[in-house]
Amino acid sequence: MTISPLARKQWHRFKSIKRGYYAALALAGLLVMSCAAEMLVNNRALIVSYQGKLYFPTYGAFLPGSTFGLGYDYETNYRELRSRFAESDDGWVLMPPVPYNAFENDLRELTYPPYPPSFATRHFLGTDTTGRDIVARLVYGFRIAIGFSLMLLLCNYLIGIAVGCAMGFWGGAFDLFFQRVIEVWSNVPFLYVIMIVASIMVPTFWTLTFVMVLFGWMSMTWYMRTSTYKEKTRDYVMAARALGASSTRIVARHILPNTVSVIVTFIPFSIASGITALTALDYLGFGLLPPTPSWGDLLSQGTDNLDSPWIVTSVVTAMIVILLMVTYIGEAIREAFDPKRFTFYE
Amino acid sequence: MSELLTGLSRALVLATLLVPGIAAALPDRLPDNLVWITNEEDPTYAAPEAKRGGTFRTSMQSFPLTLRRVGPDSNGGFAQYLRYNQMSLVEWHPNTRRPIPSLASHWAFDADGKTVYYRIDKDARWSDGVPVTAADFEFTREFMRSKVIVAPWYNDYYTTQVVDIRAYGDRIVGVEGAAPRPAEELMYEYSVGVVPNHFHQLTDNWVADYNWKIEPNTGPYQITDVRKGRYIELTRDPNWWANDRKYYQHRFNPDKIRIKVVRDLNVDFQHFIKGETDTFGLVIPQFWHDKAKGTVFDNGYVSRYWFYNDLPQPSSGMFLNEDDPILKDRNVRIALAYAMNFDKVIRTVLRNDYARMQTFNEGFGDYDNLAIHAREFDLAKARDYLEAAGWHDRGPDGILVKDGKRLSLRVTYGSPYSTDRLVVLREEAKKAGIELELALLDSASAFKQMQEKKHQIAWMTWASQGISPEYWQFFHSVNAHVPQTNNLMNHDDPVMDKLIDAYRASSAKSERVELAHQLEQMVFDSGAIISSFKVPYTREAAWNWVKLPAWLGTRTTDQLFDPLELSAGVYSAGGLFWIDVDEKRRIRAAMAAGERFAPVLKKDETYRRRDLE
Repeated sequence: MTISPLARKQWHRFKSIKRGYYAALALAGLLVMSCAAEMLVNNRALIVSYQGKLYFPTYGAFLPGSTFGLGYDYETNYRELRSRFAESDDGWVLMPPVPYNAFENDLRELTYPPYPPSFATRHFLGTDTTGRDIVARLVYGFRIAIGFSLMLLLCNYLIGIAVGCAMGFWGGAFDLFFQRVIEVWSNVPFLYVIMIVASIMVPTFWTLTFVMVLFGWMSMTWYMRTSTYKEKTRDYVMAARALGASSTRIVARHILPNTVSVIVTFIPFSIASGITALTALDYLGFGLLPPTPSWGDLLSQGTDNLDSPWIVTSVVTAMIVILLMVTYIGEAIREAFDPKRFTFYE
Repeated sequence: MSELLTGLSRALVLATLLVPGIAAALPDRLPDNLVWITNEEDPTYAAPEAKRGGTFRTSMQSFPLTLRRVGPDSNGGFAQYLRYNQMSLVEWHPNTRRPIPSLASHWAFDADGKTVYYRIDKDARWSDGVPVTAADFEFTREFMRSKVIVAPWYNDYYTTQVVDIRAYGDRIVGVEGAAPRPAEELMYEYSVGVVPNHFHQLTDNWVADYNWKIEPNTGPYQITDVRKGRYIELTRDPNWWANDRKYYQHRFNPDKIRIKVVRDLNVDFQHFIKGETDTFGLVIPQFWHDKAKGTVFDNGYVSRYWFYNDLPQPSSGMFLNEDDPILKDRNVRIALAYAMNFDKVIRTVLRNDYARMQTFNEGFGDYDNLAIHAREFDLAKARDYLEAAGWHDRGPDGILVKDGKRLSLRVTYGSPYSTDRLVVLREEAKKAGIELELALLDSASAFKQMQEKKHQIAWMTWASQGISPEYWQFFHSVNAHVPQTNNLMNHDDPVMDKLIDAYRASSAKSERVELAHQLEQMVFDSGAIISSFKVPYTREAAWNWVKLPAWLGTRTTDQLFDPLELSAGVYSAGGLFWIDVDEKRRIRAAMAAGERFAPVLKKDETYRRRDLE
């Protein structure tokens, strides 16, 4: 596959905008890390050595406590196992940096959650109101939010681009009809629909995505419609048509690649809006079901417990950082794809 | 919200399932062998040193949509102020739990076991000065049965439950109930309110016409100012007819009650701290432990009260659907009870403030079955019962598997506040190999799902009132396997049906108590309900100018600073506090001068039921 000189130029331009470039690297790093979150933030040990045998509990089936000579048949508590091994010489345990998962309640006698940040207990950002580790909630919440956002982006863009291109390309009655459909559809109050859906059925990842897509695909159509209209009248489209290219071919091979700058420019902002949408829904209580780790849930806990400032600070900081990064990336992409830079002779 | 719904649905159930009209009617002439009873011998419970005057400032979460007592939108939070500002025929002594005269000065029981005759107090007046007569009660019957009030619950209640109301002259009224009951329960079960005959015109437009009209009432306060969306003010009637009646002396002391709209609990608390409202409820552990701190508390301007009461406890817990393929096995239900670590929830999330509910019904005096103790967290026992039910193997995630099916159970609930408790139970249940899937719905939808019996486990609370426990609506098989009934468990046991029928038909208290004990034991043995928590006390904070009697409250006081009788159900426990206007001036001056007093925390355990803990 060859990279067109234009694309190479855009990439260089993007790289030269340092703020956006590093933000992109950092966000990509976070994405990769969140995919491997089980190795960094987990209550399962990375490696357990017991009676000369090595165990890798992170992925795969659970290991009951009886595996390591503990008297129970539910999942081993590896933190306890580690302190037990520290006293005896039966083996050793290597825990992830944050030895908690997003669900377990680390509750202690006589003191009540939320617990403040502590290095001794390895709750680096403290716990929430039921003693769950905030780092774990943040990390797994991020993974779900970004997954949700990407899924949303994919669906919205697939529909939006397809409909928008068709409107621009065919024009006429089809265009008029869809314009009216979209106008009507975008006036349906989205939040009410979500509220109704959340009240009559249990919202899951997929139902939420579905509803969000149902009301989110429209915005992309307008941009695609305009760019397609514009490109359609260009000479190269005429030429392709004169050569006998089919409509599908013209749209897919000629028009779409030329509108890619529009699409790419919107992507970072769509991701950001996907994350904020899910967070907002969770905050309002119409989002994913408890106990799913979510930023919105943390945010609402934080605002209800302002006297435990570590909850609200952690999640607000995390949100600001992620949204800032996305904005920087968006800025850089817009700059890199700015057509004005490449359409006149230097 | 759910509690309102509870009451509503209960009534609907009764209405739909009872066959109306055994063509019962009261006799034309008053029976002549009646023995008229009253109760003037019980002790009083208000403080004689109480001072009249001042304004009691409190809050409500939202502004009412109507000032009607019945009809559409009339079941909001403010409805209590309207309802409990209307006196009943009799009320219940908050300490002795015996009936005391209210609108009726005397009462008499008919030999048929289902009719009570009441003699209306000769002084009873509406707030506009018109005397309360027996004709008002006859009008009440017509009013409550009328379609124009758009209140199906009342329509049914006054047809199928209260079968007849009849006037005998100006001052005597007879009330006939659907089924015989022990004497005092008869008065409770078939109690009727009264509606002013001279005020209402039952036209087709009644609902709209009377939406914001202020109805005359028989209680101490009258609405005098309504600022829509902002506040409602009630003023005490200086010539209230019951002012000097034995059980009403020295009560309902503030001259005015102003109820302001504050939509958020945290904001409400800030209002209280600033002294813009006089009292604040602190039952929620977080408020009591974390928020009720700071200058106004430390400097002794505001006092905190922790008062144990002895009231019927709301029945809260997990209601297991016995029609569910997994839960129909009793062994699984019992195992589930042993896998629920309520104790841990109480010790941690609830800060040892709540107690474990031992049985389904609690706090009904003699009816309580003290021999039953809730099943405590015990993984070994849970495992034994699960093995007996054929759940041996754990899947890769540690959850038990049988024939390819995971032991995963959905908990339907409607209150976001419960999430903190449920996540701890969920994590602990994993140890037993049981997965709880939490399904939080909007409270109305959650309740709907439960009523349609589409749940596996319903996590909810039934409001509990009255003077004896109820079994028929919760456990009788006629209510099983059909939607819109309160038998959420679909419990269906012919032996139990017989006992329930006997319990309902019996009019002897000793027999009913004996049956209730047996029934409670059967409920426990079936494992259909896993009882959760109870809060056998009230905790409140009040500025020190709000004074209470030395004994703070009564056995059945549900809220210490209850300006009317909003909270304790049938018991006449409210209105005992007073506002000391001089003290208020002194405290304000002390605050301005930075003067400090010793902080006050009063804990009263006089009525604590240790036998139920």
